[in-house]
Amino acid sequence: MEDHEIDGELGPFAPEVYDIPWKQYEYLDHTADVQLHSWGDTVEECFEQCAVAMFDYISELDKCDILEMRRVSVEGHDMLSLLYNFLDECLFMFNCEPFFLAKKVKIIEFDRTAWKIRAELYGEEFDLEKHPQGTEVKAITYSNMQVHEDKPQKEVFVIIDI
Amino acid sequence: MVVREYSEELQYLERLTPHSWRIKKGFQPNMNVECKFYVNQHLEELMFEELKNSCRPGTIGGFLPGMKQIANVAALPGIVGNSIGLPDVHSGYGFAIGNMAAFDISNPDSIVSPGGVGFDINCGVRLLRTNLMEKDVQQVKESLAQSLFDHIPVGVGSKGIIPMNAKDLEEALEMGVDWSLREGYVWAEDKEHCEEYGRMLNADPSKVSLRAKKRGLPQLGTLGAGNHYAEIQIVDEIFDKYAATKMGIDCIGQVCVMIHSGSRGFGHQVATDALVEMEKAMARDKIETNDRQLACARINSVEGQNYLNAMAAAANFAWVNRSSMTFLTRQAFAKQFNSSPDDLDMHVIYDVSHNIAKIEEHIVDGKLKTLLVHRKGSTRAFPPYHPLIPVDYQLTGQPVLIGGTMGTCSYVLTGTHKGMQETFGSTCHGAGRALSRAKSRRNIGYQDVLDKLQQSGIAIRVASPKLVMEEAPESYKDVTEVVDTCHAAGISKKAIKLRPIAVIKG
Repeated sequence: MEDHEIDGELGPFAPEVYDIPWKQYEYLDHTADVQLHSWGDTVEECFEQCAVAMFDYISELDKCDILEMRRVSVEGHDMLSLLYNFLDECLFMFNCEPFFLAKKVKIIEFDRTAWKIRAELYGEEFDLEKHPQGTEVKAITYSNMQVHEDKPQKEVFVIIDI
Repeated sequence: MVVREYSEELQYLERLTPHSWRIKKGFQPNMNVECKFYVNQHLEELMFEELKNSCRPGTIGGFLPGMKQIANVAALPGIVGNSIGLPDVHSGYGFAIGNMAAFDISNPDSIVSPGGVGFDINCGVRLLRTNLMEKDVQQVKESLAQSLFDHIPVGVGSKGIIPMNAKDLEEALEMGVDWSLREGYVWAEDKEHCEEYGRMLNADPSKVSLRAKKRGLPQLGTLGAGNHYAEIQIVDEIFDKYAATKMGIDCIGQVCVMIHSGSRGFGHQVATDALVEMEKAMARDKIETNDRQLACARINSVEGQNYLNAMAAAANFAWVNRSSMTFLTRQAFAKQFNSSPDDLDMHVIYDVSHNIAKIEEHIVDGKLKTLLVHRKGSTRAFPPYHPLIPVDYQLTGQPVLIGGTMGTCSYVLTGTHKGMQETFGSTCHGAGRALSRAKSRRNIGYQDVLDKLQQSGIAIRVASPKLVMEEAPESYKDVTEVVDTCHAAGISKKAIKLRPIAVIKG
């Protein structure tokens, strides 16, 4: 993956930004790792919830405030690789500059022909003094990765290596 | 994958000894060699139960049972000997964790697979000795634990405190422990007591992505999270007096420090990058495997060589990491006891890797061959007289460090000739998980775990409370059983048992 310009804005933001959507994710059993399961009315929602699920696992988000927004752009060659690259990019945002913890994720562009996503991550820089240390996520995996679009409720399953 | 009846599956399995089983060809499609796995009665039950559960119709994949994974590995091109399952085996990505597989380098079809190494490249264990005795540390163990916790960056989001910039990182990736030595963080003799002398010579930082370097730089010198830890341990039992003495362990009650850590985000990124590259190459080179996660490349392909050279850089990263933590540990102890690490005799007993691929010479069907040995969740265990082990251990065999899980005992073993023949000098790495993390968090109370540790007289400092339940010993197989099985099977020999009195975790 090439390096890219980090792009974002500082708050404060419009009031709607601070509304956190209902939690539409859960963590499922897996021997050594954890499976993220998210759901929603659209696949975009599933992806957003899945990213938040990952951040929540890294550090419980109730201590996280929305102070900054960071944009990410990713590409893939199909739905699964798009999901993989999207989560990987979010993970990268946490592990390196800006060490970003996102409480809310909004997908602003989801292109199914070119397989591209642009998203806005709302949160703040991780601070050991302020934020609890959860579990480190080492990597996203393709293991049993599923994106279900056939029913009215869309679902996504991803196993993350911890 | 065809789901057979359990009784049919059993046709392919044959008990060899009370401690080992054979998996015949046909258990999984395209097996090139047979498999062997080592168990005792209890571990055997666990493995067969896992297999039985997977045979029930309607079970969807998520992970295959360990036995099936070992067999899928046996279907990889170029594999020689057996695909081996150690007693701590459990399901992983593609390869099971606790799986050894070796490939003949002279065979152009042979492959290298990042899944056979693991995401945490060169995750390993280092053991330091001291000349302190339990009575010296019992009174101060809380403050010593706190001191270690303060010195060693631990847990999610922690950053290394040893000053480093991008150029330092490049040099560290290339030089491994030689960099740490040059910078004054380690003693010259530490190198001797480390696999590969703490530096894989084929490391090529230019084959590592910028992304991996960006992930690695802030994390150099950090312990990590999950099942990584630093423990202050006391020698509890000595099984092999001669070997123990050679390691500088003279008596029960002696204080040691064990560090279990790997290459952090760096290694993970290297593995991830390689998997992406290899998936593309597999179509080009017409490599087929039973499992998408067994992504691999021909050893001699560009992708294969790039991975091996990047893997070596990641291995070096992990050695620099363990060296940095050795430095910090020595400082913490020196401060606490108002002495110097020198006067405390804080030597490195040994440093082992349990997630790595190595080029080694082994006898296969009576001929000496050069093999690429993948050890994922498996530790090298070379026997006495092996040229690659330090002079100090020529007569005893290589020390093998087996970390227990939080609050349980750890072991030091030595390599054996039998192990060299049967498993290409490989043995277990630890305990292996029994319960999933989610199940652990539901069934095991955080306070219960802490209380139990308290009662056992273990001081604990943990960055993430949630982790405490996930890492509780109940979540894991019994390390003593695993080690005893290896000993009974003759693939490694027990030398020392250690028990923790302080645990630092992420």
